[in-house]
This record gives sequence, structure tokens and C-alpha cells, in this order.
Amino acid sequence: MSEEEQNYSMFSSRILVDTIGDVSDDALKASKMKEVIGVLAGRFFNWGQRKSLFPLHLGIKCCALEMAAAGASRFDAERFGVFFRSSPRQCDVLLVNGPISKKFADPITRLWEQMPEPKWCIAMGECAISGGPYFQSYNILEGVDTIIPVDIYIPGCPPRPEALIDGFGKLREKIIRIGAMPSHARIDGNLPVIIGDE
Amino acid sequence: MRVVSEKTQSAAAEKMAKSLSKMDGVEASVNERVNGTQTRYIVTVDVDVENWRATAESLRNDHEVDYCSMITGIHWPESTEKTWEIVYHFLRTGVTDPAIEEGVVVPNIVDFSKVKGMNVPLELQISIILGDTRTPSVASVQDIWAGADWNEKETWDLVGIVFDGHEGMRRVLNPHESPAGFHPLQKQHKLRYHDHEEMYDDAQGFMRKPSDVGKVK
Amino acid sequence: MGPQHPMTHGLWTLKIKVDGETVVDTEPELGYIHRGVEKICESRDFTQITTYCDRLCYASANTWSHAYIYAAEDLLGVEVPERAEYIRLIAVELQRIASHLMWLGAYGPDIGNLSALVWCLREREMMMDLLQELGGSRMHYNFPRIGGVKRDLPTGFALRARHKVKLFLNRMQEYEALFDESTIFLIRSQGVGYTKAAEMINAGVSGPNIRAAGVNYDIRSAHPYSVYSELDWEPAVERSSIKGADCYDRYRIRMEEMRNSANLVLQALDKIPGGAETYHEPGDPKILAKAPSRAPEGTSGSHHFEDSRGESMFYIVGGGEGRGKKPYRVSIRSPMFITIPYAAKTMIGYKVADIPAIMGSFDPCIGETDR
Repeated sequence: MSEEEQNYSMFSSRILVDTIGDVSDDALKASKMKEVIGVLAGRFFNWGQRKSLFPLHLGIKCCALEMAAAGASRFDAERFGVFFRSSPRQCDVLLVNGPISKKFADPITRLWEQMPEPKWCIAMGECAISGGPYFQSYNILEGVDTIIPVDIYIPGCPPRPEALIDGFGKLREKIIRIGAMPSHARIDGNLPVIIGDE
Repeated sequence: MRVVSEKTQSAAAEKMAKSLSKMDGVEASVNERVNGTQTRYIVTVDVDVENWRATAESLRNDHEVDYCSMITGIHWPESTEKTWEIVYHFLRTGVTDPAIEEGVVVPNIVDFSKVKGMNVPLELQISIILGDTRTPSVASVQDIWAGADWNEKETWDLVGIVFDGHEGMRRVLNPHESPAGFHPLQKQHKLRYHDHEEMYDDAQGFMRKPSDVGKVK
Repeated sequence: MGPQHPMTHGLWTLKIKVDGETVVDTEPELGYIHRGVEKICESRDFTQITTYCDRLCYASANTWSHAYIYAAEDLLGVEVPERAEYIRLIAVELQRIASHLMWLGAYGPDIGNLSALVWCLREREMMMDLLQELGGSRMHYNFPRIGGVKRDLPTGFALRARHKVKLFLNRMQEYEALFDESTIFLIRSQGVGYTKAAEMINAGVSGPNIRAAGVNYDIRSAHPYSVYSELDWEPAVERSSIKGADCYDRYRIRMEEMRNSANLVLQALDKIPGGAETYHEPGDPKILAKAPSRAPEGTSGSHHFEDSRGESMFYIVGGGEGRGKKPYRVSIRSPMFITIPYAAKTMIGYKVADIPAIMGSFDPCIGETDR
């Protein structure tokens, strides 16, 4: 760079932002404000994540009708912040509501990978927990937790919509506990919750 | 409620059975099934596999059987008389396009208590028996009834019966990567294999994977 | 249009070849929830199979378990008491209303009418309450038994059923106002997806799809079963246009069918032998006949049944494991397995935006397709 450009580059926005960032970072560390802001911001984001869970618009089998009924007017799930989205890139929760066949194992893994972190998975119904009544079938995986880490299990065939809403409540409590731990690190410690176990 | 009377149905069934039995390789009879409040008369036909195509064309053209309901393949490895059985279920519905008068469609309201002749609804059950063979095959009727198309695909996919002359045969229910020769409803296949490799290594399913010890299968 | 798509009414893929905006070729891809029910049934008792049949088409569970039960009774040679037939008819027709409401609640959003979803699910909750009283759970009731039904009509059921069904008939006018007075719905569903009756019969399509084309073929009147012949009703028929039945006709036929089913339920409650208020204990011979539990080798049973989506059929061959305690082969005919490829061909020549309207109007349910 020439002399003039070097002088001007001191004031270019990239370097300016970095300098301000480093200076304020040192200042906050020195005055212990950084930890306070970190805790408050973490709590704020956690509140935002758990109060507005966006599940994916995926209906596999019968439990999908109970999922639809949970979103309808009688058991309104939208008052809890649960709003179904069609694109996996905009969702937090993968609600698996049916048996996973060999043909669908690949698409559902792709859907899971397309969802951005932080993300959680709820296995709804017997078929997603362990294969359900089809556990002996040649085409059905014994539970979705063979391919995707599951956080909440909701038993039932199909579970009532009230059970699904309770499941979302348990997921909110779990989010308070584990914060923003990435999904692949949740396998051991932070056990998945089974509704109805208490 | 106007329903088909038992007398008309049994008379029509007898007529069809008699005229079908005149063809070679075909044996037709009328079976009575008592179910609920009415008796049903089913035309049960046994056809030899060589005469199936001619019989199917005659059913469509002469007897106006227009609806292919289902094609079932059954594997009988232990039976002495037959190894493969293919059962076709047809219905004669008597449905025609509604008439058009002066540019307006007149709905075709059939009074079922007054139907006669070729309009009487009938059920047919056709059974073809094949002997011991590794490649059971039957003539396809895909061009006669369009409803037989996907039924034949499913029968091949699940049972392994080859339909000669069927265009576009492919796996419909099993995944496309299923190995050739994997037709789950054949009796030698156990209900559950863990993956396709196990099907070939452990065809009887006696050996369990170490992680499955103690589990119910 | 892949397996995860808000339009698909279930889990299947539709591969479309387009030229600009016009559809040139389609190919459906099924099998994402193929559970191998036919193979599982070969290792289950006859009473255990009823639970699997509910789950075949989950939107319309009672019709499938009754279709299986009629075929099993044909195989085992059982005569059903008349009161049980009436109770079964009430259960099946209530389920048919609930199934059509689920279809309407999914079809409205396909066209763009999102309020239809919550309105129809509200009515469906009413029907599911009635079915819950009869069967014990919201879905998958496992209601019929070989030889009858599992429970009689509960106390007060007739009063509540009459009240709710009449309320539903009044609410039908709201639905018709919502749909028929909406210009967008009319534009998107009329003139789209023409199908003709004779072609449909050749392709194996039946049920409301074919009655929308001006033909009154209904399995309940052509091959009568149960007590439909003793009640006063006619199958609903829709006068279609010259080119055939379009999506609007298929919508109207299902509204008429819901009215039909509601009237059948009210009539059955009036005509049930013994009165709708008497209650028999479970197992009483008036509602459950004794049935053999073994089907020897060489026997077979079949039954054609009018399901909410078409003609369904079970073909059961006896002589399986346990000297005939289990069936040798259970073969299930699903109307949607045959209709979906036909519907996929109907879409050729229309625009991509017409695909949800056409596909939704045939009422696909993938549970029964993939068995």
C-alpha cells in the first residue's frame, strides 16, 4: 500500500471496529462487567429460545394428526409460543411423530443437519421412541434415537395433545438446565426426559 | 334404500360362471358367502397360467369386468400342490360416463334394485396356481386394466412374482437400494433382519448380534 | 416436491418435470412409511391384527378396522347380531365425517384458506369426543371385535350424539359460506384437474372421487353389507361438467357425503334394535357373538368395504402358524395406492400452482398407501 492509503486505512471501518472492540473488551474485563453482561445476555437468549420454540412442519404418521390438533383451537399450542415452520432452516425443534423407515432415515438425517444450532429433538409417540407396534418389521428402525439424539420422549399411541404440550413444557425446563449446549454433545450427562416418569 | 337383490346377483353370477367354464383351462363356480344381512355371490375362477391372458381379455370384452381391485401373491413353500398362487380380485361395476344432453351432464343414477344383464355388479376372485419354480411369472394385464399397473408393481416388490410384458417395473414400497431377490413376503425371509447383509449371512435369523442379547425380537 | 412439504398430506415425494410453469410429467415416490404390516400380520392372532388396521389410515381409523373385521368374519364364518351391526354403522359413519373434516381442514390451507384448518378441526373435536365415548381413545379405538363390538353405546350417548350431529349440520352452512363465497377458492378449484368416470373405473379409482363424476356407484349399495339396506338414504352424486369432474366437484361431493353420514347416524340411533338407551355389558350375546379363533387351511375370506377414500378390501387366507390361529396371508387393498398414480397423471397439462389443489382434492392418505 502507498503512504496515503496507509494513512487512510487507519480510519477504514474494519480496523476501527476491531480496535474499538479490543479496547472495550479490555475495559469490560477490567471492571468485571463482562461476566455480568455475559450472564444476563445468556439468560436473555435462553428465555428467548425456550419461549418461542419453532417446530418443523413434518407429519410422518398418526401422531401428526394429534400434533395438528394440538395446534388447533381446542388445545392451542400457539399461546405457548410454538409456531410451526415449513423450512428446516428456520426451526429449533424436530418433532418426530412416526416410525422411521429405512427409506426415510436419510431424509430425516438431512433435515436434522439442515437445522441450525441450538436445536432439540422430541420423539413423539411409540413409533419414534422404539419402533412402536412395528418394532419387529423389516423396514422400521427401532426408534429415532438410533440416528438422531433425542431430548424428550413422549409416550402414547398417539399421545394426547395435552401430553404434547406438556412435552414442550418439559423441553422448556430442560433448556433452562442445559442452556445452549450443542446437540451432539448432549449424549451423556443431561439425560433425556421421559414424560410421565415422575 | 335400493340395493341389488340376491336373486339378480346369483342369476348373473351363474350365467358368468357357466360361460367362463366353457373356455379352456378355466373352471368357474359361484361361492356363497353369508355376511351381515345379505348373501353375496362371488364368481370364483381357477385359471391355468397359459390361458390367463385370453381369459383376461374375454373378461374385459365379453363380460364387461371393468375394475381391477387387487392382485395378491402368496408363497406356499410347504404345500404339495402349489408353490405360488396369484389371486386377482375384480369387480364388475357397470359404470359408464354420464350422458350429455344439450350441453348439460345428466348424472348416471342407477337404481340398483332394477339392474339387469351386464349391469349387475359382481365380484370375482381369480386364482392362478404355479408349481415349484424359482421365477414365478404370469402374463401382465397392465394394458387391459390400468388399475392393475401399480398392483403388479407391488406384488413383484413384495412377493417376487414376475409379470411378463409389464413396462416400468420398479420397487414401490421397499427402498430402491434393496438387493435384487429381496422380496419380504416370501416365507423364507424372517420378519426382521438388521440390514441387508444379515439376510445373506444369517438367513435363518438364529444368530443374534451381541448388542441384542436379552432383548425381545 | 419432497417428503417434507406442507402440501403433501403425508409422507411421499412427487417428482415433476416442468416446461416453464406447465407440468409435463410426474412420478410419485411412495414407501417412506412402509411398515410391512402384511408381513407382521402373519405372526399375530386375529384379534391382535385389529390394532394394526386402525393405524393403516389414521385419519379414518374405524373404517379400516371394520373392513378387516368383516373379512375376518367371512373367513371364520361368524354371524353378527343386528344390534352390533347398527353400532358399527354409527361408528363408521361418525368416522367418515371426521375423516372428511380432516381432509377439508387440510385442503383449505392448500388453496390458501388458513381459517378452514381451525374451523374444521373444531368440528372434528366434536366428532372425536363422540368416538372417544364409544371407543375409548381419541384415535385408534380398536373398536370392533370378531362377532360384534367391544362395548355398547354408553349411557346418554344417543342424547349427546343427536345434539352434536344436529349442531354439525347447522355448522355445515358456515363451511359452505366460507368456501363457496370465496372467489379465490372458486378460481383455484374450478376448471382444474378434470377426470372422467369410465377412465377412473378402469384405473381402479372409486369412492367419492368417482361419485363426483356423475355416477352413483357405491359399494354400500352395489355390494351391500351391514345394515345399509335397511336405512333410507342414497349415495351422494355430483353432476360434473362435460369435461369431467374437477376439484370443485370433488369438494362438493365430500360436503354432501358428510350430510349423508350425519343423516345415517341419526337414523341408526332411531332404528337400533333394543333402543339406543339400553345398555348391554361387554360380552353380552346381543352385541358380541362367539367366534372361533382358528381358521383351518384352505379357507379364505374377503370383503369389499366403502372406505372414506374409495373401495378398500381385505383378503385373508387361513391356515397360518399355530394350526390356524394366525392367518397365512393378509392382503390389504388400499384405494389411495391406486389413486395417487392416477392423480399424478391428472396433473399433466396444468400449472405448478395447480398441483396442491389437484392433489389435495383426491384426499391422499399415505398411511394406507404404504401399509
